[in-house]
Amino acid sequence: MIGSSLGVAALEEASRVDFARLRSSRHSRCLAAMEEAGLDVLILGRPGNVHWVSGARSLWTAGVRAFGPGAVVVRSTGSIHLLSVWDEGVPASIGREGLYGLSWNPLTLASSVAAIPGVADAATVGGDAMSPLFASLLTAVAPRARLVDGAGPMWAARRTKSADEVACLRIACAITEAGLEAMVSALRPGVRERELVGVFDERIASLGVTTPALEGICCVVGADGQMRQVPGDRILAAGDVIVLSPGALYAGYEGGLGRTWIVGEDGRGGDGWSRGRGSGGGGSGGGGNTGLSDLYRRWRVAFDRLLGTCRPEETGANLVGAWTSTGERLPSIPLIHGVGVGVEPPVVGLARLGEDAVLEAGMVLAVQGLVSEPGMGAVFGKETVLVGGIGGDQAEVLTRFGWGPLASKS
Amino acid sequence: MLAPADIQDSPDLARMRRDRYARAQAQLAAHDLDGLLLVGESNVEYVTGARVLTADAGRAAMFRTVAYVARDDPFPHVFAAYPDGLPPELPADHIHPAVYPEFGARPVAEIIRGERAIGLDEYTAAMRRELHGSGLVDFVDATPIMVAARICKTVDELRCIRMAQHINEQAMLDVQAALRPGVRQTDLSGLFLRRIFELGATGNAVDPIWQVMPARMADGPWTIHGDVAFPTATTDAILRDGDVVWVDTGITFNGYASDFGRTWLVSAPPGPPRPTGVQRDQFARWRAVVEAVLDRVKPGSTGGDLTRAARSVLPADARTPWLGHFYLVHGVGADSAEMPLVGTDLGPAFDESIVLAPGMVLVLEPVIWDDGASGYRSEEIVAVTEGGWVPLSDHPYWPFGS
Repeated sequence: MIGSSLGVAALEEASRVDFARLRSSRHSRCLAAMEEAGLDVLILGRPGNVHWVSGARSLWTAGVRAFGPGAVVVRSTGSIHLLSVWDEGVPASIGREGLYGLSWNPLTLASSVAAIPGVADAATVGGDAMSPLFASLLTAVAPRARLVDGAGPMWAARRTKSADEVACLRIACAITEAGLEAMVSALRPGVRERELVGVFDERIASLGVTTPALEGICCVVGADGQMRQVPGDRILAAGDVIVLSPGALYAGYEGGLGRTWIVGEDGRGGDGWSRGRGSGGGGSGGGGNTGLSDLYRRWRVAFDRLLGTCRPEETGANLVGAWTSTGERLPSIPLIHGVGVGVEPPVVGLARLGEDAVLEAGMVLAVQGLVSEPGMGAVFGKETVLVGGIGGDQAEVLTRFGWGPLASKS
Repeated sequence: MLAPADIQDSPDLARMRRDRYARAQAQLAAHDLDGLLLVGESNVEYVTGARVLTADAGRAAMFRTVAYVARDDPFPHVFAAYPDGLPPELPADHIHPAVYPEFGARPVAEIIRGERAIGLDEYTAAMRRELHGSGLVDFVDATPIMVAARICKTVDELRCIRMAQHINEQAMLDVQAALRPGVRQTDLSGLFLRRIFELGATGNAVDPIWQVMPARMADGPWTIHGDVAFPTATTDAILRDGDVVWVDTGITFNGYASDFGRTWLVSAPPGPPRPTGVQRDQFARWRAVVEAVLDRVKPGSTGGDLTRAARSVLPADARTPWLGHFYLVHGVGADSAEMPLVGTDLGPAFDESIVLAPGMVLVLEPVIWDDGASGYRSEEIVAVTEGGWVPLSDHPYWPFGS
């Protein structure tokens, strides 16, 4: 990607990302997926799906909210309809005619959906999520419709990324890296884990982005070597080993990466490492320099093997085999998951999760690995990766950030 | 009788979890159900107290924590996406590996096998396929059951809401001090988000709103209903001298939401911003509406009493003093907007059916709008008590009157 393409401000002579082309491409892919699945109508409640199909800019909220019909796609007319009271953030291709309003009355909402041309007569309606109430209301207002799975067709449509989507993902990665740099710089004794979340949010906001993909894992590794994921009130101490794994959304696309760092006396971890904190020092899982650098070397071997297996036609079972072939046990967190407008299938990990998934060129994955030993510590790392990004076969790592104290001694 | 001082104390989180779980069990008994299968994020948080990573909707839907509450079981079963977020009292035999509702829920189906009637709040297609195989064909909608459990808050829940609101308010003191021409909406967000975590927030709940309100609706976004467009998503838009900014934010503290709303004015140095006569009058009308509504807040009052009170202090032909696509009053708890909802398009009969009871938490958000001269909007939160109400919000209206 050309250097000037990696930013958020507008350029005069060309868009960094051609959003009109991106929206048009996604619209076509959605209709093709509906045709493939035999769907007459799609009713979408998941914000990721609503955004992917419409390109509308909507208010970010944390977590999953109760189901509501955010968007409707009708195959016969090709039209996209959106739940929105105003046209701010709505692409011109949808326009005012494509909007239906917010209502607190579920029957009113169901009726609005049924009034969209093509819905009341639809034979097969796909929903990406549902509530018992809405399912029954829909049956009442569109009695001919058979309600089927719409999530699968949407995942299929979103699976491989266009060049414009990869451009958005690269920008999201660069923004996330900026936020990670701020977190690393903020590491010092006395800081609470959750304050690092605020540091991340502030830095990405300075780049004009306030939508996190996740507020970030910023958790000290305990003496038991366990990796926690939910940041809390724990106060950082010098020598603490800490996992940092944030993510930001750019135009809805998720960038993410993870690193394991050491809290130094004055930030950056460098001093804490080179001063040689001694075995068991620092009050956390750092069983001395040697222990942690061993874990990092092991992590690097296993991760590189895993990364080398992120190729078209490899299966989830092969990915698990690649990791465990190095002698490392499978961690409790997934080895890979898809990313696009947020987290997507496949998810591959413990208990044969995703073993039958098959990778394809153009998929983008979050690849993560964890090596831990009780009493010694843990090393976690994550990268965002484009399958087939190099020569159509090898994976291209989209994220870029050093390993600081762990790499300097390895 | 609940006094303001009772709410200032720190919540007893363990007691809160026990009390909430007891309410869920009481609902199970009242509806004669064998269990509740909960996938909805705030419902799961309510019955388990399990903490999760704050994330966007895509991640949150994939890596979900699922709960199953069996009748008379002293603890919930939790399929935990984040094992380190589980409360310490959960016994090991009630903690299960994560399930992925996007792909199915077979481990859950195993646990509910043989049960007769279960409440369910939402489902995926994959879940439906597998749960169907468990022998259960239909589920009772758990949503009204959970609303009934959640609508009246215990004192610990009120303390959590008060703490969330306090953190939100304290952060806003720093943000408003930074408000000046040239600052971007995203700059305000960055400052706000940094401060809430320093002050003890668990997470952020909604992208902060700092919307510049036009003088005329015609100068703002087109709307379906012809009423004011609010809230629109934040961008890197640059704020300017004289801008009227409607602020709306929400954070979470131990699973409970805040809801902050104020109207600010941007002014160039040396400031301070000076509201015009019209703006001061808008604020005065807003205050009059709030006071009239609060006068009716007590157990036994209906939602209809509140909407009538709001209209009573304005001329008969005045614009409805709240947003057409929203409400005059909404509840807040584990969700930033929940029952009771008063003044929505559910209509006057629905408003009449809402009867206030002690423990309900009400967010009042009237809006005064004079097309051609913008408007005033702020929010206040109160908890209904035996005798009336206590405030949960406490923040200056500056630069408007006290």
